[in-house]
Amino acid sequence: MSGPWKDLKVRYQDDLRLFGSPTLRLGLVALVLAYLFIPVWWETFPVTRLIEGWGLTMTTLNYVGIFAIGALGLNLLTGYTGQVSLGHSVFVGVGAYFAAYAGATWDLPFWLWLPGATLLGFAVGVLIGPFALRLRGNYLVVVTLGLVFVGDHVFRNWRSVTGGNAGVSVSKAPLEVGPIDFRDLTLFGHGFEKEQGFFWLIWGFVAITALLVKNIVRTRPGRALQAVRDRDIAAEIIGIDLFRYKTMAFAISSAIAAMAGGLYGTLQAYVSPIDFGLGIAIQYIAIIILGGLGTVHGSIIGALFVGALPRVIDGLAKDFDIPAVGGDKGGSGGILSVSSLNQIIFGLLIAGFLLLEPRGIAGIWARVKAYFKAWPFSY
Amino acid sequence: MGDSTTNGVDPILEADDLTLRFGGVTALDNVSFHVNPGELFAVIGPNGAGKTSIFNCLNGVYRPERGSIRLEGWEVVGQRPVAIARRGIGRTFQNLGLFMNLDLIDNLMLGRHLQMKTGFLAGALWWGRARREEVENRGRVEEIIELLELQTQRYTPVGLLPYGLQKRVELGRALAMEPRLLLLDEPVAGMNLEETEDMARYIIEVNHELGVPVILVEHDMAMVMDIADRVMALDFGMAIATGNPADVQSNPDVIAAYLGEPS
Repeated sequence: MSGPWKDLKVRYQDDLRLFGSPTLRLGLVALVLAYLFIPVWWETFPVTRLIEGWGLTMTTLNYVGIFAIGALGLNLLTGYTGQVSLGHSVFVGVGAYFAAYAGATWDLPFWLWLPGATLLGFAVGVLIGPFALRLRGNYLVVVTLGLVFVGDHVFRNWRSVTGGNAGVSVSKAPLEVGPIDFRDLTLFGHGFEKEQGFFWLIWGFVAITALLVKNIVRTRPGRALQAVRDRDIAAEIIGIDLFRYKTMAFAISSAIAAMAGGLYGTLQAYVSPIDFGLGIAIQYIAIIILGGLGTVHGSIIGALFVGALPRVIDGLAKDFDIPAVGGDKGGSGGILSVSSLNQIIFGLLIAGFLLLEPRGIAGIWARVKAYFKAWPFSY
Repeated sequence: MGDSTTNGVDPILEADDLTLRFGGVTALDNVSFHVNPGELFAVIGPNGAGKTSIFNCLNGVYRPERGSIRLEGWEVVGQRPVAIARRGIGRTFQNLGLFMNLDLIDNLMLGRHLQMKTGFLAGALWWGRARREEVENRGRVEEIIELLELQTQRYTPVGLLPYGLQKRVELGRALAMEPRLLLLDEPVAGMNLEETEDMARYIIEVNHELGVPVILVEHDMAMVMDIADRVMALDFGMAIATGNPADVQSNPDVIAAYLGEPS
């Protein structure tokens, strides 16, 4: 075991390192290994049986990754800057439709259409942000709620781009980086399934986005955002331009959402307006509340939770007879369906977290950490 | 120092004929004053006399209807708060303007916002310059931590600190701005004797050793009389007396404002 002196910081640089302690570095290694090997393990039959029994298929994990990216964006705006937005799903839609259009019509390569989708999200955010951000609190929520309906209208009626109600295929958007095609991945002479390629692609972007957002929030611009959230008048007095920082937070959050949207489109291969409605916007809010407002790891933990829990409940319903739930293994009767059970559980979780642990799962994690740091003492 | 319009030094701040109204209430009525370089200038007066309104005009939070404020010859009235902060007016708030969820280091680093340059892109990429800037400014912040003796609380979210320390952190944040002029709004309100003495010592250190001119709004008369170079007394938005502390304290108008007219 390393003694405490190994942790002694003698330079400010050491204090600023992201993975500053041996434990954190060990965690980083574990995460990298998980990233590299989860898709490989998935091929071995016993593991697959086990985790798929819990509902954790590769596809579920891929959707979780996309939710995580989108939630990182929303957390920057809502968790760090304190501006609640119900319109996040619109920007996800902007990215997805851009991917569909750029892939099918312009035949842009991957390294052009994904940055393109991100930039478009940024541009739309810069255009809309200044109008929305003149308001705050409940008024901002209502305006961004309106944005969802405007977005929905555009998605349903701009048929040449979005395909209207029926939706549009995104399978023509290329996913090739140099010789590597993530849809049809071959590494070291071994061919991989589409789900495996997507895992490496999507979770790679989760890591990059998380790192960029973490860097923003621990440096000057991110501190300014948090100052705007905590006390806007005081922030102005120390020289923070409220308008500029709020607009930038909105635009960057939209850009990240659009990037998530582009990946979402290619993963699902087909998108339609129901993928970007109010339900999805609320789901993103649920992710950051459950995961932890104003934390980077909370966005990812929350996505894991919100993305995986419905699948797990579906999986359990196949094996066990849940009382009062119809359509599960027990089959007959019951007053609830499995999907409405899912919604009830989510509603209870959101309400429960807001009442009991507003800092979310990240807050519980922080308390557990604090407990073991002081162990065996209780203070 | 006495009444020092005559000593030949250009004042750092000149306010002339400030008038500010909210509907029918006249918060400031033709108030004029100046602050000399290195001076500790106190503003006193009963509740509602307009003391904090002066600060809000100096910061650009309020815009006076009439009058002018010049900071080293630069017209402050009509400027946005951010532009005024850039010119070097730092401030603490009467009922705390701290960022309660952030730790002490982050609060003080925020004080250095204008001294730093890192934007979103450079910050996200953690480029060499962004990283260097973080380290450099962290060094400056540590000097303030040492000056104000806050070493034990670096990583505590300031919302969890006791009130007296929070006031001190706010002074630190204003100092981190390297202000040309420091506005302190009731820095010892609600403090016990020891905390008041500590704070007075810090204010004197800032004023004498760092040479920062200070405008102090305060109710604690004993402290004002001890540390101020000059005092202005306000009542119902009007300056009723300006001068050295002893003169203002014995001015009959000031006594009447605090204690009422003898009947």
